[in-house]
Amino acid sequence: MTKTPYAELLAMLSRHRGVVGSFVVSERDGLAIDSNVQIGVQAEAVAALAASLHRKARLACGAAGCGVVTFLRLDAEKGGVLAAGRDDLVLVTISEARANIGLLRVEMMRAAKALT
Amino acid sequence: MPDEIRRLSDDLARDPSSLVFMPLADALRRAGQLDVALRVALRGLDRHPYLPDAHDVLARIHADRGDLERASDEWEMALRLDPAHAQANLGLGFVEFRRGDLESAERRLSTVPLAEQTPGVAAALAHVRSALGARCANGIAAVVPNGSMPAEPAAVSRPMAWTEAIASAEAVVVVPTPAAPPVAPALTTPRSTRPVSEFPSPDPTRTKQLFDSALEGSDQHALLVDGDGLVLAGAYTDAGGNDVAEVIAAELAGVSGEAERAMRHLGLGAWTSLLVEADDAVVAMTPAPNGSLLVVTASRRTPVGLVRLLLDRALARARDWLVRVS
Repeated sequence: MTKTPYAELLAMLSRHRGVVGSFVVSERDGLAIDSNVQIGVQAEAVAALAASLHRKARLACGAAGCGVVTFLRLDAEKGGVLAAGRDDLVLVTISEARANIGLLRVEMMRAAKALT
Repeated sequence: MPDEIRRLSDDLARDPSSLVFMPLADALRRAGQLDVALRVALRGLDRHPYLPDAHDVLARIHADRGDLERASDEWEMALRLDPAHAQANLGLGFVEFRRGDLESAERRLSTVPLAEQTPGVAAALAHVRSALGARCANGIAAVVPNGSMPAEPAAVSRPMAWTEAIASAEAVVVVPTPAAPPVAPALTTPRSTRPVSEFPSPDPTRTKQLFDSALEGSDQHALLVDGDGLVLAGAYTDAGGNDVAEVIAAELAGVSGEAERAMRHLGLGAWTSLLVEADDAVVAMTPAPNGSLLVVTASRRTPVGLVRLLLDRALARARDWLVRVS
């Protein structure tokens, strides 16, 4: 992948404790625009799935009259996926259980506002 | 009694996850504080949905409130969890007795082990058998045990006078028969024409209210959605009062599968919850039994941590309900 305007942002997120990777992905087609992941993470597949989840959440929230989705958190037994979107772009972070979710959430929501 | 209730309330306040909610709810029921008893029992069941004794307590409360249908559901649930649960058999036996289904009542009461047959149970069984014998003999209303009609219909109008009557051999029970003459109609219980199934399904008209007791405000909603995106239970109305449950369910179809695939690719184990924050609401989801998905929404002013707690409570109700219908 070539370097994009998001490289610095993704590197900053990946320095957080417990973060094993982060992406900027297009919600429309699920393609990763840029990523910063540890070796072994299936970036393309996870990016596509995260984009799809974000899209479903956005559509469901629209149907329910809940407004625009600002943050999404998928928890699992040993970690999770966090996502914050703006227009078609979604910032995604993969975290282990030891990550500070509160801090990541704040950073991601702030960063998502600057996504263009 | 107030001292006992106070002591049990203190115990529960000290440890909300303890099982003391059962004796507390029962003490409140016996004291006639049925609404409070109901709340205590339901909250306890949210934490301990698989305790047959807890379902028995809730059944007694429903029965004292005159809701024999729900009481019957709860006793059925207790029996599913513990097929030998004597009190549940006893409760159902009395429900059948009240419905005039004497054969079923006799069968049910007979299953109570001899060791657990209090004098009240033995008397109730004797009454049922006596009533059966009387019906066979002359086909008229049978009155037991003292052969005289009660002076007023208290035993009928307060359905769960009989839960207390279990402990008393002095219960006055009036048993109708299909051929009963129209005498003293206020004292007879109409014989149900509805077949008594072994495990009746919960009332489908109540599925929309399934999560009401687990939620805390009108701005909170819960939906149980199957793997195909169809609503199983719960309700959702938008700000305009429109029922949008089916639309939301359809939009969420496949979320479970995608969450599961994402976690598999990442090796992070099974997914446990999905939390979505939007401008006006917080939406929480979690996988539920049988491939279903539970969705809880709350207004944006609800703390995110509380939404997760509501999700846990709603999940307990969903599991309980799915056990019954599956």
